[in-house]
Amino acid sequence: MRIFRNSVLAVLVLILGAFLHYTLPQHDVVRVVNTYQERQDLNDWTRIFWATPDDQAGTLVNRDVQFIQTVKKKSFLFGFIRRDAEGVMVYRNEDTGWSWPPYFKFDTASLQTEADDLRSTPEAPKWAVMTHYGWRVELFSAFPNAVAIKPIDSPDATIIPWFNIFFFIFVIALVLFVRAMWLQFRERTIDPALEDTRDAWEKVDAYADEKRGRVRRWLDSWRGK
Amino acid sequence: MAFARLFVFGFLFLSIIYVAVSVYSRSIRREKLEDRWAEDHPGDETSPERDAFIEAGMAEYNASIRPKLIALVYVIPTIAVIAISIIVNVI
Repeated sequence: MRIFRNSVLAVLVLILGAFLHYTLPQHDVVRVVNTYQERQDLNDWTRIFWATPDDQAGTLVNRDVQFIQTVKKKSFLFGFIRRDAEGVMVYRNEDTGWSWPPYFKFDTASLQTEADDLRSTPEAPKWAVMTHYGWRVELFSAFPNAVAIKPIDSPDATIIPWFNIFFFIFVIALVLFVRAMWLQFRERTIDPALEDTRDAWEKVDAYADEKRGRVRRWLDSWRGK
Repeated sequence: MAFARLFVFGFLFLSIIYVAVSVYSRSIRREKLEDRWAEDHPGDETSPERDAFIEAGMAEYNASIRPKLIALVYVIPTIAVIAISIIVNVI
């Protein structure tokens, strides 16, 4: 039973972690190689990996999506540990509009222009920090969505994930607050209600005992000793 | 359309939070008043004076600025949305 409960908990924690890892912003050190635009089908389940821009009709089954091709500095541990190795990464560039995830991104065209402006060759690299969310899953043709790009002087520039720091502080504060609310609710509302129920039940029980005692005595009075 | 959806569902969600925080804040205040009375009048848990004391304290709380500050539940997320859209699109 305990193993079952722990397994369910572990799966829930994994799902929540994956959800946060997909949705929260991350930073990559990249060098833009090229940008392109390609028609994408949106009518199967991989739709979940594409955004829903505000100007898109609900019945649309395919549309053009902009992409940014880059060479990326590889890293370990969510980007905290840098590596010397390089790999390629392709980002999609889509408006999220007012929909999920809440990036409120409307500047796709401007971002594409900035990326184009930063294009460089391996001989004269121009490094930049790419803020993005999402995953590159080759199997399902899923791409992370680029949110912002900022030129940096050297690929070793320090990146502090301010948003994520504040986000997790906020989440911890929220959990503590909800816990305090729940404890207060239990102390002031649920426990007194349970006590009332218990008192009422004890009264009924005592009354029943008394009645039964009287009936029993009356019955006993008919039995000869 | 998406904006209307965000607005409506956001408003409903924040309203639930608003009501929950209001109830919590009131409950905390009432408990404090009860504790204060119990400190000054040990053993008295049912007298009409106690009820009057607590009701007066709650009326004072309702008139103060504290319950109005809970409206920040609506204000802060709105500011956050505006700030995020400015940071993402303009800066």
